[in-house]
Amino acid sequence: MSTLLEDIQAQISGVKTSVAKENVGIVRQIGDGAAKIEGLTDAMLNEMLDFGNGVTGLALNLEETEVGAIILGDYTSVKEGQEVKTTGKLLQVPVGKELLGRVVNALGEPLDGKGDIAASAAYPVEKIAPGIIARKSVSQPVQTGIMPVDAMIPIGRGQRELIIGDRSTGKTTVAIDTIINNANANQRAKDEGDDSYRPLYCIYVAVGQKQSNVANTIQVLEDNGALPWTIVVNAAASDSATNQYLAPFAGAAMGEYFMDNDMDALIIYDDLSKHAVAYRQVSLILKRPSGREAYPGDVFYLHSRLLERSARLSEKAGGGSLTALPIIETQMGDVSAYIPTNVISITDGQIYLETDLFYQGIRPAISVGLSVSRVGSAAQIKAMKQVAGKTKLELAQFRELAAFAQFGSDLDAKTQAQLERGKRIVELFKQQQYNPLPVEEQVAVLWSMQNNYFDGVAVESIKDCQAKLQEYLRDRKADLLGKIKAEGQVTDEIAGELKTTIGEFIDTYK
Amino acid sequence: MKASKQAQRDAKQLFQACLTDGVLDEGRALTAVKALAEKKPRGYHGIMAHFQKLVEMDVAKRTANVASATALDEAAREKVRANLAKAYGDNVQVNFAEDPALLGGMRVKIGSDVYDGSVKSRLNSLEGSF
Repeated sequence: MSTLLEDIQAQISGVKTSVAKENVGIVRQIGDGAAKIEGLTDAMLNEMLDFGNGVTGLALNLEETEVGAIILGDYTSVKEGQEVKTTGKLLQVPVGKELLGRVVNALGEPLDGKGDIAASAAYPVEKIAPGIIARKSVSQPVQTGIMPVDAMIPIGRGQRELIIGDRSTGKTTVAIDTIINNANANQRAKDEGDDSYRPLYCIYVAVGQKQSNVANTIQVLEDNGALPWTIVVNAAASDSATNQYLAPFAGAAMGEYFMDNDMDALIIYDDLSKHAVAYRQVSLILKRPSGREAYPGDVFYLHSRLLERSARLSEKAGGGSLTALPIIETQMGDVSAYIPTNVISITDGQIYLETDLFYQGIRPAISVGLSVSRVGSAAQIKAMKQVAGKTKLELAQFRELAAFAQFGSDLDAKTQAQLERGKRIVELFKQQQYNPLPVEEQVAVLWSMQNNYFDGVAVESIKDCQAKLQEYLRDRKADLLGKIKAEGQVTDEIAGELKTTIGEFIDTYK
Repeated sequence: MKASKQAQRDAKQLFQACLTDGVLDEGRALTAVKALAEKKPRGYHGIMAHFQKLVEMDVAKRTANVASATALDEAAREKVRANLAKAYGDNVQVNFAEDPALLGGMRVKIGSDVYDGSVKSRLNSLEGSF
């Protein structure tokens, strides 16, 4: 016993308390969420600073005698003359599957009252995008469940596709539909025990939006069973500009976790116009020189470095992917404004939503002429390519002819047929919100259109006919839909079956 | 008063002219300030203010403020001086002060660097860890 006591005593006397060196500075100026700090000679760019009382800052401007920092959270408790310490850590957020189904703020802290998040890892908020060696070209599709998008503007995993349009033209709805469709597909594959299916995890980043809108979106996701597959990062309009500026980067870090670990993720930045505005505010407060429209000179780099982080990685580099759907709100349809042109040039294509189409009742109001996908066609499944190959051209021709047809009534039979067909395609592409279609149903409907089965149906009845056809296929011909899904292409056998099935249906419908 | 960019540049140039072998020459600095006050070049207020700030920072870099809960004896002071000289060079001015609020131990501040071995800071970090 005595030796034990001696041992313990020896251990205690051996313990030395070491004093660590700290680097400190003094707050000289504070206001609008930004502080000027004197000292802090060892501060790094983007380093977290400890203001005490649990307040954290981010060093953004390293000047000769001062450090300019933005404050995360409540800056009202920070006082002039207060001491600030460096932490030696870059700003990081918790990442991992534990965040799925949760609503968090820009720092990854829960906002949904469901308790703490025991995240397995943390990733830095700012990270250099994967390089050229680590990348691979896009080859797998992201099914949005929106027929005009999947048919004409296909999106691949790892792509960046911009959703752009005026206010209330359905931009968020396109994004939410995509989340719901993928959550449904994930759930189906999980229920069926299909291990070959790669689930697509979703991250929805709300920047500068009304809290009520975000609450609605979360409710929609929950009602449609999509929330368990989604992380919601919320920096609402009432949050500080700092948090709004950081939220997309935090979301990207959460997405990168999936990408690095051989999983696929989809991130929605809703929206980057407000993000640019928040960054402008932060920059002006930090007294950085301003440029066009008072945006700072690095507003292009702000978005390019964010969107470059979306990638499809090669197997060697992890094999995952991060698909980005940034949203930009235009003013009066002006796509040539500063921020829209920036983001258009960074992304791999855009889905352009038009106000006129929206009020004509064509919803989703996708403008076929202005919407493109630069890389997605490589990822489209073969069945879709077979049935939708010519649709975009036909629709574009229809728009052109329709404009001419307004002036004259005497049209030759061929032109009239083209017009009739165009009208039917437009009708078929109308779709209710939050009602995404599985790809096999889209293929069946488009196949029917390509093979002239809808030509005998009146334009006003097309929607009704399509709904009933889908119901018929789902209830009575599930095996045929299953075959299309499994094969991924319309083989001669499937074409034969479609011919008899849809022929029968159209006959009874008439 | 906030010095203009030009004044800041001028002050920095002036400051650098006052250095000999990387150490501030106090005589030169004083002469420079006197000359500035006499000749009053454009923006001299700003130049002087920024020059003062640069000198302050330079002095702070070479001044160690050692605070302890109770007065240190000469042996302890000598030890502190020796250790600081080892880390920051010989021309460090060491000031000793008493601060009962530290409760125990000592706190050394030199420039932006702080070595805090006080009981108060440990209690604070303990409180923060709960």
